[in-house]
Amino acid sequence: MSGKELPKQEKRRWGRIETNIADLVSGVKENKFSSIARAISMVEDEDPLLRKDILRKIGTSATKAHVIGITGPPGIGKSTLIGNLSSGMMARGITNGVLAIDASSPFTGGSLLGNRIRMQDKLRESHVFMRSLANRGEKGGLSRSAIGAVRILESAGNQEIIIETVGAGQADLDIMNLADTIVLVLAPGLGDEIQAIKAGIMEISHIFVINKMDREGAYFAMKDIEDIVSMDDHSGWKRPVVGTTSNDNDSYNGLIDAILSHRKYLEMSNSLSVKRRYMELETALEDEINETITSKLKKKLLEEYVSGKGMGHDRLDDDPFSIAEDLLKNFLEYSIE
Amino acid sequence: MAAGKNQSSSKQRPPKILLAKPGIDGHDRGVLVLARAFRDAGMEVLYAGLLPTPEEVIDTAVNEDVDVIAMSLLNGAHLTVFKRVADLMKERGIDDIALVGGGTIPEEDKPALEALGITGNYGPGTPLSTIIEHVRKRAAEAREKKMGQD
Repeated sequence: MSGKELPKQEKRRWGRIETNIADLVSGVKENKFSSIARAISMVEDEDPLLRKDILRKIGTSATKAHVIGITGPPGIGKSTLIGNLSSGMMARGITNGVLAIDASSPFTGGSLLGNRIRMQDKLRESHVFMRSLANRGEKGGLSRSAIGAVRILESAGNQEIIIETVGAGQADLDIMNLADTIVLVLAPGLGDEIQAIKAGIMEISHIFVINKMDREGAYFAMKDIEDIVSMDDHSGWKRPVVGTTSNDNDSYNGLIDAILSHRKYLEMSNSLSVKRRYMELETALEDEINETITSKLKKKLLEEYVSGKGMGHDRLDDDPFSIAEDLLKNFLEYSIE
Repeated sequence: MAAGKNQSSSKQRPPKILLAKPGIDGHDRGVLVLARAFRDAGMEVLYAGLLPTPEEVIDTAVNEDVDVIAMSLLNGAHLTVFKRVADLMKERGIDDIALVGGGTIPEEDKPALEALGITGNYGPGTPLSTIIEHVRKRAAEAREKKMGQD
């Protein structure tokens, strides 16, 4: 950003941040929680220059992370499950980090980030970094911060990155595109609920979990899902159905095994992080286009208008939209030839 | 690209605050009302849960990179516990998270808390709007420190 003309105050701000960014990046690489936290905030801030700067300096990482998306209806026990899943992985020596996404109010933009309470004790014990992100009701924005946050957690040396969402709405489905493995959490007694979500998230899930296995009807729920899965096309990944209950830590071993074998499956077919890299490139391109082309092209076309190449001030009475359309059309014809 | 700059700074994320009762005090009805009020005021709100230690509160605040820790106690231990949080923050060199207090705090204890940098210290019956306004002001100060604007 050295070549950019910034106002004086901005320049000073950037000066401070730039010296800090070097420390921040080395902190992230050492898995220092305070540095990771601050880096994620910078990515969340929706400042394209800042985001680009920090993600670039973080660069690529030696660890190749596998992203797990945990989704399911509200109140099903996703957060508690993540606490147990994450600490279970740590016990097996698999480093991991957690991102939990909560909805923002569409009216005020405020948000209650409540996922942390259910998992914080387990995560603290196992020394796992966890961060809550508000979805801010904006799909592009959330994917951007989530993409950045995943990259930051990856470069901190996490082999597994767990993302929690409610799994409803376009914004959440976008996040699910980041995930290599999608885990759908359900519970006994949902009945019609299972029917309702069958068409959407059910199709893209790789692993099914029946949580609260201590409840009545748990085995029926498991059988329901197994019936659906048995109708899958049998080439490729066979989608497992596992049961968990938070009273029994051992019940999470089946889930961890299923996740690890899906990872292995992806690695063998060379498709680990393929979707994520594509998304990263897509947003980077979008930022780059917005930043460079939009501003440069706008400037050029305005100059053209003022200098009056063929259509100068004699069009003062025209409506601005047709002038803009003509300017762009002219430019495109000109440059494509 | 001054124009782009302006546009992006307007998109700064909302104030993020952590509500905590960092002591032996399980009466959290009040703090839950506040959580709702802060949310409705457009902030991103975290609640530290029941009975966290001061260390846990600070860890959460750091990992979530909040702007304000809003502490509440109704058990009379504010001079000990709020001070412990302030001391720990100083020890760890954290100067860009603001501390505000509230609960049943006698008038004569307030100067001591203010001296530790713990402001507000509102009691029962304070209008929510007063509390929200104060927290928003402290959050803006903390955010400026984080962004390195002095």
